[in-house]
Amino acid sequence: MSIKEYGLLYWIVVGVLALLVASPFLSRVLVYPRTEFFTELWILNADHRAEKYPFNITRNQNYTVYLGVGNRLGYCAYYTVQVKFRNQSQEAPTSFGPIENRSPSNLPSLFNVSAFVADEQVLEVPLTFSFDYVWDESLSKVNFLGLRLNGVWVNMTGYTVSWDPEISEFRGFLFFELWLHNSRADAFQYHGRFVSLRFNMTVA
Amino acid sequence: MVWVLRFRFCFVLLFVLVLVLAFSFVSISCFGASSEDAFSAISDAEDRIVVCYRAVAEADRAGANVSSLSGVLNEAGWLLSRAKLAYSQGDFGSAVAYANECRSMLDGFVDEADGLRRDAEAAAHWDFMVNFVGSAVGAICIVAGGYALWVFLKRREK
Repeated sequence: MSIKEYGLLYWIVVGVLALLVASPFLSRVLVYPRTEFFTELWILNADHRAEKYPFNITRNQNYTVYLGVGNRLGYCAYYTVQVKFRNQSQEAPTSFGPIENRSPSNLPSLFNVSAFVADEQVLEVPLTFSFDYVWDESLSKVNFLGLRLNGVWVNMTGYTVSWDPEISEFRGFLFFELWLHNSRADAFQYHGRFVSLRFNMTVA
Repeated sequence: MVWVLRFRFCFVLLFVLVLVLAFSFVSISCFGASSEDAFSAISDAEDRIVVCYRAVAEADRAGANVSSLSGVLNEAGWLLSRAKLAYSQGDFGSAVAYANECRSMLDGFVDEADGLRRDAEAAAHWDFMVNFVGSAVGAICIVAGGYALWVFLKRREK
């Protein structure tokens, strides 16, 4: 029996063994590097579904939605979600085009929700809200008194929505702008993303 | 008998005085806060949160599991938001109370985050030595040993 007859088998065994031992090393070296860094922002209804969001709003009735933030930035991020309200005549923020060209709404924030999310992690915040408002029948508009968000009372005096005869609604939008803390500037910057809920404020 | 009544009267008077002083102290510290006090408390809480966030970010970068720490930060952030809201509504006492609660929630937080970071760095070093260096060196040794054994067996056959 000659060793050369088993040469092929011998080197296959050596090669397989070497590959097995080298597999942890190879699994690190042969990984394709991450090239896309971004943040996900979403809103779901009380059943965790992207459908049947609260629409016809009744005064002082509680509604629940889930606000989610997914961090794919490659580092632990410090976000602030600015909760704002606008009517149809007020401009929405922008979320298309290059991120540095996107602009937030110029309306003041009603409340800020802080979110610290580790890299590749997701944070989902349940938000229970209700609106208090009065109907000004003579002027055909709804005057807001306040918003209760997760038990926190936020004054909304001065916010109004007018009757839209075309769609037969008192239409308003509760929207959530995402801001990211910039460590170098030590300030928050609009992160170019927002989600919005469209409402019809019912008056009975 | 008279001195007993006087003693009781003095005792009640002293008790009422202590109660009034205690209430005044609490009122001053919680309800009598000025706009400057509230602004300063909120700024301090904001700074503390940023310092803690940086510590968590370092721990996360080192590979530590920071989910519990970020949960605490989220709670502290909620308190800070309430403090800012109270401040914007002119309720400076509540603003100070929320800001102080936020700060006290973060006591010892940086040490905890630093501890997690150090543990993660040690684990990462060990993991690198075993799974990266050890694995590469092991594979080279197997190929070199296989070749030496092959040469040895061939020579012995001759």
